[in-house]
Amino acid sequence: MKQKNSLPAVFLTPAMMILAVLAFVPTVYAIYISLQNRELSRPVGDFVGIANYIDLFSDRRFINAIGVSLTWEAVTVGMTLIVAVGLGILLFECAAPRMRNILALLFLMPVILPRVSAAFVWKFAFHPLYGIATYPYKAITGQPLDLLSNPATALATVALVDVWQWGLFFSVIVLKLLETLPPQPFEAARLDHARTWEIYTHIAIPMLKAPLISLAFVKMIESLRAFDLIYVMTRGGPGITTETLDMYAFSQGFIESGRISYASSMAVLMMIATSIAFTFIWKRVQ
Amino acid sequence: MRKARKLVSSIAFACLLSSTASTVALAAECSDTIKVLAQPRDGLTLLEDYKAEFEKLSGGASFEIDYLNENDRRAKTKADASTIGKYNVYYIDEANVALFASAGWVAPLLDYYPADYDYADFDPGRQKVATYDGKVWFAPITGGGDLMVYRKDLLEAAGITPPNTLDEYIAAVKKLNQPDQGIYGTALRGQRGSGANVWRWMPFFKGFGGNWFDGKTPVFDGEQAIKATETYLELFKYSAPGSQTGGWDEAVGAFTSGQVAMLIESTPLVGMAIDPKSSKVAGKVGYLPPPAPLTGGGYGHGLAIGAKANKDEASKACAGLFIAWATSKENENRRLEANQFSELNRTSIMTSKKFAELYGPDLGQALADTGKVTAVNFWQNPQWPDLGDRWGIILEELITGTRTDIKDGLDELDGFAKELVARSQ
Repeated sequence: MKQKNSLPAVFLTPAMMILAVLAFVPTVYAIYISLQNRELSRPVGDFVGIANYIDLFSDRRFINAIGVSLTWEAVTVGMTLIVAVGLGILLFECAAPRMRNILALLFLMPVILPRVSAAFVWKFAFHPLYGIATYPYKAITGQPLDLLSNPATALATVALVDVWQWGLFFSVIVLKLLETLPPQPFEAARLDHARTWEIYTHIAIPMLKAPLISLAFVKMIESLRAFDLIYVMTRGGPGITTETLDMYAFSQGFIESGRISYASSMAVLMMIATSIAFTFIWKRVQ
Repeated sequence: MRKARKLVSSIAFACLLSSTASTVALAAECSDTIKVLAQPRDGLTLLEDYKAEFEKLSGGASFEIDYLNENDRRAKTKADASTIGKYNVYYIDEANVALFASAGWVAPLLDYYPADYDYADFDPGRQKVATYDGKVWFAPITGGGDLMVYRKDLLEAAGITPPNTLDEYIAAVKKLNQPDQGIYGTALRGQRGSGANVWRWMPFFKGFGGNWFDGKTPVFDGEQAIKATETYLELFKYSAPGSQTGGWDEAVGAFTSGQVAMLIESTPLVGMAIDPKSSKVAGKVGYLPPPAPLTGGGYGHGLAIGAKANKDEASKACAGLFIAWATSKENENRRLEANQFSELNRTSIMTSKKFAELYGPDLGQALADTGKVTAVNFWQNPQWPDLGDRWGIILEELITGTRTDIKDGLDELDGFAKELVARSQ
């Protein structure tokens, strides 16, 4: 009996130790150097307490990055779910099973594409002079369309690529979820003369609430790591209009200043903020 | 006479013996793979065809080159050199040589550069930008200054003579700008970065008499910087679409695809613009030094010996041998044969008969003329990338309209510069 009880610990301990090393060592080290004034060119630094954290709140680029990151999260998560649910329902309602499978395969393609490749493909597609996506506008109006250089459209344009990758992928998941639902509630609703939109609003989507929330969480975490997409497409520009927190931290750490302590303080704040936010949302949902 | 011959043959034999001995000594230690972090250059790609030659020369060592575009290469070399030091050879440039040298991330090149390879043969301007604190840190693989490159056919059709002054240049750009016909007056660099938009802005700033620092006091926040920025923003009204957040690639791409009438860019543009393989406008291109009072942006990129990955003297010597071979006269001759104009750095090559045959006397004259106005426009300090990149962001904001007050932007940079100086003390 005693042997049986210790078995989970035997299996869990190595994995937990690896996790602890991978997760805690960098975290603790990041906190440690965030309290110093280390730079890449000056690896030995002095302790400066919370000076880096205080400086962050008078840094206009940091304040801007918070706003950009929040906007990015809201837009990409929201749009991805809207596209996923809309397309999933459309496929479920309008496509025959064979066509659904073909379309599902096509919809999986964008997410299989590496992010950096997708970013380059779309960056060229949006080029105002040679881009295929901007060509129709240029052909009709005679004017070039420079979406990535325009502060009003740059973030939305990059978000479009993100939604193209994840919205189509999630629509396949939503389709498969709809296919697993029992048909009886739908039949009953149809007998009661419910319209199609009413069936989905009042029956199907409430039945899929739990998996949709899970999808939203997955996308929220994924959207936090959109660095590669933004870096390739805009590098945070025009100006700082698409500079997210991770971009700015990387910029401070490795591109511009080599201020690794300052960059670490941003990383630590991001970690704390996301942990609190996710815990809060998770509890609310539960 | 016989005695003299005997003496000469003895000396020659002794030299041969010593060089063989040194090759053998090198062969014993130079057998690992030399890892190089660089940015894409035709000259480096060409080198990869001659790996066997280097293997034979070094006594068994090979090399691997990882390529990243300019901004990423700068970030990655900085991160690698300051942390794990995985690369034996770094591609560095005029803008970060001071940082790499002062931080001890690279070793003094000439201590490990075999004398036979004749470092003194490199173009003096490139030697100058490779030198910091009295020591040479890299062997050039590209470099030069600026040239004004223009479409002869468009200028002739508009009845414009190639401009010699900035006022004439601006007037010509305005006149030649015809977006409805797919022709834009110019192409500038708007993308943030000390080596991007700031690089193209600096000739205006220095040309108007601006200076970065007086000792440790920032002095750039004045009339010259305002005038330079106003002029740069004015010209941006006639710059090709995509250049507002674009860099060298976008500006050059717009010109070589036939959509730009004239621009001022780094000298390698000429090689691309006159090569029918990379240019739709080859045969229609003219070039002159930048219009007065603009200064040319003197620059040089090259290969340096990584200090961390090369822990002992033998490894440093290996890296030095690789750099010497990669930048040797033989390899530059191969680049010349391959029509890689932008990869030529040695005086002996650029004054050769073959060079004159390939590119004609005009280009040689234009390069000589632009050499007279080429200057070091940036602040030669380890903290330049930090300051330059910050101005790059502010400048990009001004170009794209997310900021409109030039003075406010310069004041912000002034505050940042003071903070930077304080932090370094």
